[in-house]
Amino acid sequence: MANYYDLDDILMEEEYVTVHFKFEAKGLGVLDPGSEHDDIEAGAVVDIPLWLAHDLCLRKFVSIKLPSFYNERIRKEIQADASCVDLGRYCPYFYELGLRLAPISPDPTLGSFLLYCLQGRYKDMLCKAHTVALTTAPKFLNLLTREETQLFEAARDSVKSYNKWRFQGARLERAAVLGRKRRLNALLSPFELT
Amino acid sequence: MDDAGPSARRGGNSIPVDDATGAYGASGFVDSLDGLGTEEVASDVVLLRRVWQNEKCAPEILPYDASLVERVREQVQLMEENIEAFATEIKDDLMLSLYRMDVNRTLFLLRSYLRARLSKIERHPIHIIDNQELWDRLSEQEQEYTNKYCEVLAKHFEQTVLIRLPEQYGSMLKQTSLASEENDMITQPQLNTFVCCRSRGAIGSFQLDDKGDESVDLMTNDLYILRYKPIRRLLETDQIELI
Amino acid sequence: MAMFGKKGAELVREAKQTLATTDQFRPFNKDLFEQVVKETEEHYGHLQERMSQIRVNDSTEGGDPNFVGGCAQHRSVLRNKRCLLAYVNARMSKIKHLRWDLGAVLPDDITGNLSATERTFFQGYSDALSSYMAEINLDLTVDSTPPKDPYVQIRVIGNLGEVLLDDQETSLLPHSIHFMTRTEAEPLVMQGLLEIYQG
Repeated sequence: MANYYDLDDILMEEEYVTVHFKFEAKGLGVLDPGSEHDDIEAGAVVDIPLWLAHDLCLRKFVSIKLPSFYNERIRKEIQADASCVDLGRYCPYFYELGLRLAPISPDPTLGSFLLYCLQGRYKDMLCKAHTVALTTAPKFLNLLTREETQLFEAARDSVKSYNKWRFQGARLERAAVLGRKRRLNALLSPFELT
Repeated sequence: MDDAGPSARRGGNSIPVDDATGAYGASGFVDSLDGLGTEEVASDVVLLRRVWQNEKCAPEILPYDASLVERVREQVQLMEENIEAFATEIKDDLMLSLYRMDVNRTLFLLRSYLRARLSKIERHPIHIIDNQELWDRLSEQEQEYTNKYCEVLAKHFEQTVLIRLPEQYGSMLKQTSLASEENDMITQPQLNTFVCCRSRGAIGSFQLDDKGDESVDLMTNDLYILRYKPIRRLLETDQIELI
Repeated sequence: MAMFGKKGAELVREAKQTLATTDQFRPFNKDLFEQVVKETEEHYGHLQERMSQIRVNDSTEGGDPNFVGGCAQHRSVLRNKRCLLAYVNARMSKIKHLRWDLGAVLPDDITGNLSATERTFFQGYSDALSSYMAEINLDLTVDSTPPKDPYVQIRVIGNLGEVLLDDQETSLLPHSIHFMTRTEAEPLVMQGLLEIYQG
């Protein structure tokens, strides 16, 4: 696993997906709020995190149902006006989750839909990243998924760095980790001494 | 001084005091300007800048250019000695300031180059140790550093986390000794990432995948955004540079 | 009750917080860390219980209820291991930055937020880096930004007293303003003892 320590990858795997248990599973009752005993019955439909679902699916113990935000209705919305759809609300890891599900999902069109989706939204996003005011957090940021936010911020940071380089040059500054408090103390100290 | 080095041709180890432009160009920053149109003889600093830029942009660690670093360091030392000597003779503060600036900029390149390499080593230390080709790309001092770094890293993981886990799960290379055959926890650079590059010569048609479905016509001085993996051999042979 | 990775994910969110917090160093979250370790032990306990109940003859069908359950427990141990290491790793990358920004000796209020093993790690890392830089005879922690001017004008914030600058003894009194070489000023500015003065 080339990205074993990647925090976003770990959190993406924490997204819940619905699975259908093909066999009885001992001792997993706690995963199923509807279950009244320690076990999950064969045939039960349960929401479990992706990291667990993925493994159980590869072992053919469960089958995965695609989350509703990859369904036909959302695809139509994307087709109508890609950049207005609030994907971030459906799932912060809309693309990464989809990419992970694509190989094990029964729907062969998922991958190409994800590509279509990003292509539709990318241009508008990049355009805004270069033009909106640098200090405010614009409203449309809420519509973006986590992956898109990262792209957006990368584009915005590059504008910021460019301006910094062009107009004032990189400055030496104290290490941010020291916070602001110490500075005030240091400024006051000479007065305390007298 | 390495006589074979390009710097010998430039006379980069002395400061021609009567010619500001020449002095400033002695270690290279003006070379790229006055080199335009004429036959380009790259000074060591220009070479270092290219090596530095490639290192900054490539996802994997690149071969260490030991002789170049050594030449640049010797030049910096000479420059510093000369500045020292001239400081008492010349009263021209502006000139001195320019010389110092030149040295400082070269030193910045050097430091930044070595820092970029350390940061790559720290990102994928085990991957580098495990891979002979990558290991050979490090300087002797970098190899020593990598070993020490791995030791400190392993000890920290061991004492903080791994010792607390059941024995079959206590490796920092394998997720578990129960199932996985290979070391499945080692992080690696993403070689399939896109990079911006400039072609240094007319390379012509270049194949971007094994099947031959995708190819690109590389023209002199044109810019391209391509996947790193297929073009890494071109970088090795200096046919392209990353930007 | 072991909750199949919920606490682990919380720990990873804490790691993200640690990385995102720039104006201080968040303390090591011992409570949460210990909970994840404890859950891991519980999952491992359940795993052994499941494995002990598998009857050899049944397992050939591939759907032994104990085996299905056991796999989930095994996965949970792996998941928690990943969360624990990712948390430690994220903090480690921040600790390494401290060495570059503040030098080999850390102020007490930051050291206080590191765990004992993290302090050992900092020391080990600092030593490795110092000996590398001594080996190549070049301080890499300065020149973090491209230099524009060999000299900078600075104002003294902390009380530094007599120091050796450019081979000359200079008295750096609070609020006094000096010219010095950039490389000499840089570490002191990073530590908050001087600031760049733009009169």
